[in-house]
Amino acid sequence: MQGLALGDSLADARAKAEGLQVHPLDTAADDAALRRVALWATRYTPTASPWCRDFWDDETGADGFFLDIEGAAHLFGGEDKLIADLAERLSHFGLPARLAVAATPGAAWALSHFHHAPLFVLPSGDEASALADLPVDALRLAPDIRSSLRRLGFKTVGALLDKPRAPFAARFSAQLLQRVDQALGLLDEPLIPVVAPPVYHSLNYLLEPIMAQEAVIARTDRLMQTLANVLARDDAGARALRLCLYRVDGAVETVDIGLTLPTRNVAHVVRLFDLKLAALAAAHDTGFDSEFGYEAIGLAVTRAEPMPARQIEISSTDLSGDSVGPVTGDAAERYAALIDTLRGRLGPQRVRRFEPAESHIPERAEVLTEADVDSEDARDEESAWPLTDEKSRPLLLLPQAEPTEVTALVPDGPPRRFCWRGVTYYIAGSQGPERIGAEWWRTPFGQTKPTRDYYLVEDFSGHRFWLYREGLYGRETADARWYVHGLFA
Amino acid sequence: MADTTELLAEPSTGAQNPVETRMAVRSAVVAELRRLLPGVDDIRKPLPFGLPALDSHLPRGGLARGALHEIVPATETALPSAFGFVVALLTNMLAKLSRGPLIFILPGYTRLVSTPLSGHGLNSLGLDPARITLVETAHRKDSLWAAAEALHSGVPLAVTAAIDRLDLKTSQKLQLAANDSGRPLFLIRPAPTLEASAAATRWRVGVAQAARDRFGLLARPRWHLQLERCRNGRPGEWKVEYDHVTHRFSLAAALADHALSRRSSARSHKQAGRS
Repeated sequence: MQGLALGDSLADARAKAEGLQVHPLDTAADDAALRRVALWATRYTPTASPWCRDFWDDETGADGFFLDIEGAAHLFGGEDKLIADLAERLSHFGLPARLAVAATPGAAWALSHFHHAPLFVLPSGDEASALADLPVDALRLAPDIRSSLRRLGFKTVGALLDKPRAPFAARFSAQLLQRVDQALGLLDEPLIPVVAPPVYHSLNYLLEPIMAQEAVIARTDRLMQTLANVLARDDAGARALRLCLYRVDGAVETVDIGLTLPTRNVAHVVRLFDLKLAALAAAHDTGFDSEFGYEAIGLAVTRAEPMPARQIEISSTDLSGDSVGPVTGDAAERYAALIDTLRGRLGPQRVRRFEPAESHIPERAEVLTEADVDSEDARDEESAWPLTDEKSRPLLLLPQAEPTEVTALVPDGPPRRFCWRGVTYYIAGSQGPERIGAEWWRTPFGQTKPTRDYYLVEDFSGHRFWLYREGLYGRETADARWYVHGLFA
Repeated sequence: MADTTELLAEPSTGAQNPVETRMAVRSAVVAELRRLLPGVDDIRKPLPFGLPALDSHLPRGGLARGALHEIVPATETALPSAFGFVVALLTNMLAKLSRGPLIFILPGYTRLVSTPLSGHGLNSLGLDPARITLVETAHRKDSLWAAAEALHSGVPLAVTAAIDRLDLKTSQKLQLAANDSGRPLFLIRPAPTLEASAAATRWRVGVAQAARDRFGLLARPRWHLQLERCRNGRPGEWKVEYDHVTHRFSLAAALADHALSRRSSARSHKQAGRS
């Protein structure tokens, strides 16, 4: 707009331009937006790294990202073509961009900010000469270093580079020389990627955007076939995969799946993605919604594990033609595939198994953990569960013990009759008590939890219950309460 | 006619009785195949209770393996007994035979079976909890899908699911899935009214007083079993008890302490009335 410049005060700006819209700075939203664009830019290369705030310590926040395009540029016909394509797509989103390609992140940053051309590709090795004419601000230094350099009369980077290093090391913080070295490529600068870079990656650009879930799945199938070959070559299998769907309007949808055992099975992986997409669509209650369609699809193996090639076991079920499913292989593999499939539709924490826990309090004596496939040797080991004959425990254990009205002959005797969920049960026989003390090491110092006396009772028709009386009569409490805790088979 | 039989018969046998010879050859081939593929026939073998009184009611002397079996609690409060009966079936019939996971599909959406299974409880009944994979579902549709999926995968030795409602068509689908996989599917049906279904058997499990040892302690759980429907078999009614140590069913001694329990029951009612 007319004469507005960065750094103007608000009053000046308002005087210069009428009807100026003012919004307070929302750095969190800025960061989120930058992250979104960086995620979108993973369509060019897996490593996209948004700038962090410590590059440029002013109030405007980070406003760009690095792309590590090494090994990716040739896919777009060279670095020039890549940044031209990137600039065009960004301008379609309404983002005027300044782009530079250089051999080091530091040089690329400097050139993108201070070079006169909006798109610039610096041939490798020319960093020193290209940076020489740029102001010292181009080195991504803290404001106090910048101002003291300016006071000492260093206007350009070139002026710094000519001088001996020792006095700078003595006078300034280590950041100055570090930034210089990083810009010139003498010191490595690791990039922090926006998403973890995948181990194996396969990307597909589409001529026409695709909208339907079937089309996405068909494309995923092709990508997975490509990946399966690469995985097989390396004797590796995928444990976690990510499907990136790049929408025409710049948004990226990512779908992650995890696998119980490493796999290279194309049909299984594709089926899991299909289930997950269906589950996501069901969760949003809109059906599969691709809005304007997807223009690119990427499939990445985010976690790979060694998976030696094995001879396929021919089981008797395969021979008799009994099992017809997408998954073949040995029993453990098929079990893992089943767990994955169930988890794909039902969600995490839905496929579990029992695990004994070290506690004698019944409700704490076991936990449910995510189901897993044991290795062959682990399965042959002794069960972690105690021997059967020690104590009898109810088959169904109520998640919360339910209070009940009990009639007993003597206050600390076995129950004779109790009422639970609106039904009165007359007790024919009882067994107990089994006394279970509270875990004093869990209660805060000075407090005590009541002891429980458990009774196994049976009524006249044959219902079997597990009741307990909370508190030792006369010692811990004068009015003991009763609870129903479990139901026996 | 004569020409064809002669053509089919082996020339070296002298064609004394061509049909008999062919049968002999065929049975030899089948026996040889059986020897080569030991697992195949095993999968189809029915699962006997080990109780002649029960097994004689079932087709081929046992529960069909690749089939759908419904287990219905006789009353609402008999649900633990129904679960216990299934666990006893699994332990008695399958767990000993071969290794493999057992899958339990339990709904999280209904209060009917909201009481969770306990690992220590399963252990007390003799079933190793480490072999069980527990699947929790949010809808009835998910339960049915998970059951079919588990059967199709051919992985589990048996699938147990608790389903409150089931129409005929779905039950036919499940029966087919069970038949294809050769695995039994036990459906626990805590429902007051039951629709027609394609299940091979329907058991009604009621509560019964447990067997006691000589100290009066509960030794073995007993259930009142009613075989309500059985395809190619006969319905029947028994009182069975299950020993969790030997993993064995036995018939409860019919009249042993029946009178005693009735007397004590009457007495306790009287007492309750007085108090």
